[in-house]
Amino acid sequence: MAVPSKRPRWSPFAALSHAALFVWALLVIIPLLWTFLASFKDNTEIFGDAWTLPGAIRWENWARAWETAHVGRYMLNSVLVVAVSTAGTMLLGSMAAYVLARYRFPGNRLIYYLFVSGMAFPVFLALVPLFFVVDQFGLLNTHTGLVLVYIAYSLPFTVFFLAAFFRTLPASVAEAAMMDGCSHTRTFFQIMLPMARPGLVSIAVFNVLGQWNQYLLPIVLLSGDREKWVITQGIADISTIAGYEADWPGLFAALSMAIFPMLVVYIVFQRQIQSGLTTGAVK
Amino acid sequence: MASIVLSNVDKIYAGGVKAVNDLNLEIKDGEFMVLVGPSGCGKSTALRMIAGLEDISGGEIAIGEKVVNHLPPKDRDIAMVFQNYALYPHMTVEENLAFGLKLRKMPKPEIQKRVNEAAKMLGLDQYLKRKPAALSGGQRQRVAMGRAIVREPQAFLMDEPLSNLDAKLRVSMRASLNTLHERLGVTTVYVTHDQVEAMTLGDRVCVLRDGLLQQVDTPQNLFDKPVNLFVAGFMGSPSMNFVTADLVRTDGGGAAVTFADISLPVPESTFTEKAGLDAYIGKQLILGIRPSDFEDAAAANGHSGTTGWARIPARAEVTEELGSEINVLFLIDAPPVEHKDTVAAKDADEDEETIPLAGDKSLWTSRVNARSHVRPGQNIELIVDTHNLHFFDSVSGLAIGHPANAGR
Repeated sequence: MAVPSKRPRWSPFAALSHAALFVWALLVIIPLLWTFLASFKDNTEIFGDAWTLPGAIRWENWARAWETAHVGRYMLNSVLVVAVSTAGTMLLGSMAAYVLARYRFPGNRLIYYLFVSGMAFPVFLALVPLFFVVDQFGLLNTHTGLVLVYIAYSLPFTVFFLAAFFRTLPASVAEAAMMDGCSHTRTFFQIMLPMARPGLVSIAVFNVLGQWNQYLLPIVLLSGDREKWVITQGIADISTIAGYEADWPGLFAALSMAIFPMLVVYIVFQRQIQSGLTTGAVK
Repeated sequence: MASIVLSNVDKIYAGGVKAVNDLNLEIKDGEFMVLVGPSGCGKSTALRMIAGLEDISGGEIAIGEKVVNHLPPKDRDIAMVFQNYALYPHMTVEENLAFGLKLRKMPKPEIQKRVNEAAKMLGLDQYLKRKPAALSGGQRQRVAMGRAIVREPQAFLMDEPLSNLDAKLRVSMRASLNTLHERLGVTTVYVTHDQVEAMTLGDRVCVLRDGLLQQVDTPQNLFDKPVNLFVAGFMGSPSMNFVTADLVRTDGGGAAVTFADISLPVPESTFTEKAGLDAYIGKQLILGIRPSDFEDAAAANGHSGTTGWARIPARAEVTEELGSEINVLFLIDAPPVEHKDTVAAKDADEDEETIPLAGDKSLWTSRVNARSHVRPGQNIELIVDTHNLHFFDSVSGLAIGHPANAGR
């Protein structure tokens, strides 16, 4: 990083890392492409040679997924749940992280490590008690219950990541705001949050992806009410809709539909992750 | 505007480190007070305590008669300029300037008026719509100043505001700071480790070391009458030359200081000025001579005849030509003074001499007129203004005969 210009253009390390990146890119792109192409194939083509293109563009697969499997409704549910829970995660997570990163008080470390240990705790172990807790609150089979669990589930990594990020921001800017007359709350919302935008965007994208793809928690907490299912449940349902004779093309069409919003989210927000946002603040 | 009074202020950090130790300081209304000292001397901590960014461990701080110990920064009616400027990166220059006023619920036209005035004063008019990232270092620095000015606070606090600028800009900003202070007349506390900044900016300068106040006085008095070895060595560039010397009676009835193979006569007037100096006759003390009190005998014929100027033959080891003057470095056949105060002051000095000393000799600096044209390796006859000799106790390091040291 320090002196890239002095390094020979094609050192063995650079070549190796490029090769690794290339292989990785293939590993990611090929399955995506294959899913997309398979959504236009019919069953015979899917089980035939994996490298053939679909014989015809069969939009009816997509229509079938959308209508008979109700992917449209499930997707709307997912968008709703993920939007609310990501917003909640970001709000609570950034507030907690800021306080833990910037204020010294007894128990600060304890709370921080409590959050961090949450990352190491396997969700499977908590599944049964979680079910009963949510049930006791009367939130089983409600989006509210799912949103709350998503937030709790996402907080540890969010706090861990953002606390580290807040520590990198110059303390003097917050002090300047205090001198200018800001309260602690206002300093956080009007000064520190805008400065932390690159970090917030990164972790928000991470949370959106994680919560969108969440399957285990919804089948435990939402299984009773088909109307409220999220996209992952809907897709899984396609494979069982026709009993033992699964609708593979429909499944792939639904998968493609589920992937697209995430691609869009990622591409849009990726451009906002500008590490140089604090330039000009100090020095 | 207001005075700032620190009474017996302490700052003890967790772990027992005493950053500020029983600091008493009165900054008068409208005064430009500079806190100066080597890094870690507690000057920034003192400033941050006045600002309210650090808790006060003991003592009392009053701004304009009002004790502010437990007031949060925003209620102290002071503005601060940070070393790294600390601008709000997501706001334009205009918003940066207006932010503090908006928070104080000032009417919009008034905000606009003040922002425009400050921008004009600092030459920022054309940059109002830019964000800090699109400004140069000097411009950012001015925005930081502007943010303080628009508030029209009771006092400005500045924490090394010029240290991130390049040398040339720093000099011109120093001049603008001076004019600015003259125009606004706001009480200012200014922290720096640069003694040139301290000398040129301060109405009075407060020298700190290890959290202890050393001396508060006007720049000229600090230079002429340093209270101890540390202040003597810290203020002034190049720094004062020291040597362990003997004060003796001469055959003629006068007095002289002798060191190496040199003997400098001490004028009678010095004994009247420095009460208690006569008690040191026949004893060892530390002699200090400012480089500026030397002159090249050959180039300064006018002086050589008059009384009070003594001659020292020397061989120029190194010469630093500064255009109007030449710094001549020469060796004195006496061991360097190893007092804790001179060592501390040396550490603070950034342009430290790096010549390996020949044997057990000390390297002295003299500043002579450029007319001297002396070259390295040449022998030179230096004359010393013996009226400006400084004498320090070799144990305590205190200046002998300084009023502040009477009874210590």
